[in-house]
Amino acid sequence: MSSDRKGLPPSYFEYPWRRKGLDHERFPFRILPRMAPVAWPGKARVALWVAVHMGHFPMDMPDKPFKAMGGMERPYPSYWDYTQRDYGNRIGVYRLMKALDARGLRATALMSSVLATRYPALMKEVAASKWEVAAGGVDMGKIHHGGLAEEEERALVRDAVATLRGTFGKAVRGWHSPAHSQSMRTLDLVAEAGLDYVTDWINDDMPYEVATSAGKLTAMPLAWDMSDQRLLFSQNMATEDFTDQAKRAFATLYAEAAATGGGRILTLTLTPWLMGQPHRIRALGELLDHILAHAGVWPATGSEIVDAWRATV
Amino acid sequence: MLAEPGHYDYAPYTGRPRIVWPGGARIAVWLAPNIEHYELEPPNNPRKVPWARPVPDILNYTHRDYGNRAGFWRMADVMAKHGVRGSVSLNVALCDHFPEIIERCCELGWELFSHGTYNTRYFYDLSEEQQRMLIADSRETILKYSGQSLDGWLTPAITNDETTQHVLAEEGIKYTLDFVHDDQPMPMKVRKGRLISVPYSLEVNDVPLYQNRNTPVDRYTEMVKAQFDQLYAEGAESGTVMCLPLHPFLSGAPQRIAGLDAALAHIVAHDGVWLATGREIAAWYTEHYYDAFTRWLDAGTPGGRR
Repeated sequence: MSSDRKGLPPSYFEYPWRRKGLDHERFPFRILPRMAPVAWPGKARVALWVAVHMGHFPMDMPDKPFKAMGGMERPYPSYWDYTQRDYGNRIGVYRLMKALDARGLRATALMSSVLATRYPALMKEVAASKWEVAAGGVDMGKIHHGGLAEEEERALVRDAVATLRGTFGKAVRGWHSPAHSQSMRTLDLVAEAGLDYVTDWINDDMPYEVATSAGKLTAMPLAWDMSDQRLLFSQNMATEDFTDQAKRAFATLYAEAAATGGGRILTLTLTPWLMGQPHRIRALGELLDHILAHAGVWPATGSEIVDAWRATV
Repeated sequence: MLAEPGHYDYAPYTGRPRIVWPGGARIAVWLAPNIEHYELEPPNNPRKVPWARPVPDILNYTHRDYGNRAGFWRMADVMAKHGVRGSVSLNVALCDHFPEIIERCCELGWELFSHGTYNTRYFYDLSEEQQRMLIADSRETILKYSGQSLDGWLTPAITNDETTQHVLAEEGIKYTLDFVHDDQPMPMKVRKGRLISVPYSLEVNDVPLYQNRNTPVDRYTEMVKAQFDQLYAEGAESGTVMCLPLHPFLSGAPQRIAGLDAALAHIVAHDGVWLATGREIAAWYTEHYYDAFTRWLDAGTPGGRR
């Protein structure tokens, strides 16, 4: 067996970014166990961050450039897919609010801005629960990606931020791109719109600073690989597999915090149309009780964690 | 196109020359952490587009980056706790990007072998000369950063060409991991030189299990233990090899690390286990069994095609 093929062009063997550090300029490489210990308020070991995906999925959402996680599964017009997700904003989220309120917890809602105009009653409840609201794009069909023109993307960011700040004011500080998808300039546009933390990148357990053309942002470790949507929806696992993983993650992070003297963050990323189902809500309560039964747990919103992190570094 | 790889003849799992591992061990267990870097903006290969989403696919890019920032360090600590070394399936450009990781591997006495330059640069459609150039890069980079020789090979993202194994043998690679056809090392038929396969695994491999087959963590542990128990039992007759491939971005996550910890605790609690590296397994087999297996194969194995 031999081959006389010519092979690929020389450019396939060029490595413009082969150097010490990462292959981009947004932030330096950091090694988790070598970072300076972070002190949480009250010397807590683990900050408990509950982040809730409050998305709106239009029934006619495009499946280009790719289908967003949780996008319509069946051909148009899929009433099943649309209403299954809309259930989250009608019913599921109220169950989450009750479960959290009962335990003195406040979530950070990663919110599609169209919900602010579609469901004002829901917005009042969110405000009354003292949840933090972070901008989660316009809706789940408005994906930020490399093929988007700069002005088009800038308009999406501005629209989402202006709408949500119109309802919730300056307290809207965080950003989550629908489906964790960005273009090369999303971070610049988010900083330009006056926000100060982002939740799209899933490469760390702790916050870090990100450079943009409009100042610095803080990256917050939103869970994706351990989110309810990933496990319960994409991977078809049982509710107990989700709560088991969350407990395992908590045990690991809690032990690491004790061993290193530096705080950690457990992020529970929840989706109202999944974890807010009647057959799952008790398991969520049990999970929260398990975590809160430990000393040294600091329940906090995303912006509270960002502020505490910035104060110690 | 080939109808089969052509690098081996059928060899039944019976009547084989008996393998005994060092110290009379019945099973050689080796761990293969895949320490990888996926580029943010890689070039397209004509036969495989690197990212599922349009560039920049920040979700999948950062998920893998997690392994180098956090997962690797946790995984390495657990392996060290059990006295188990790794044989690193290494994207060699990682030596340049993150030398801290290579220092830690060397400090733990781990082997480095090549898994190509980046996991986003494939072997599909390369000429033989281009494959040789990349193997040379791997050899030089590993030598420069660790002082080790390049002995083992797993083609990046398993994108081998029909010629790759021949080129590997000619370039002095001693063992290949591109085959999962056996639970023992096997001689490979190549144009010239000598090459053996060492068992790798797609079964007890955290990527297929955690990413594709939606395996809960406790099931992962049970599968690894069952894999070990069976190969351990069979090893009483003739030595077997168990490979546990790992990916730090998955197994090193806080929700999964205890699953690996429990699996390793089970394995190291047994006598008669040789906790080896890929290089050590290949060397022992080549020294003691290569000729015996070759003679057995050449004589025409029962049920074989010769």
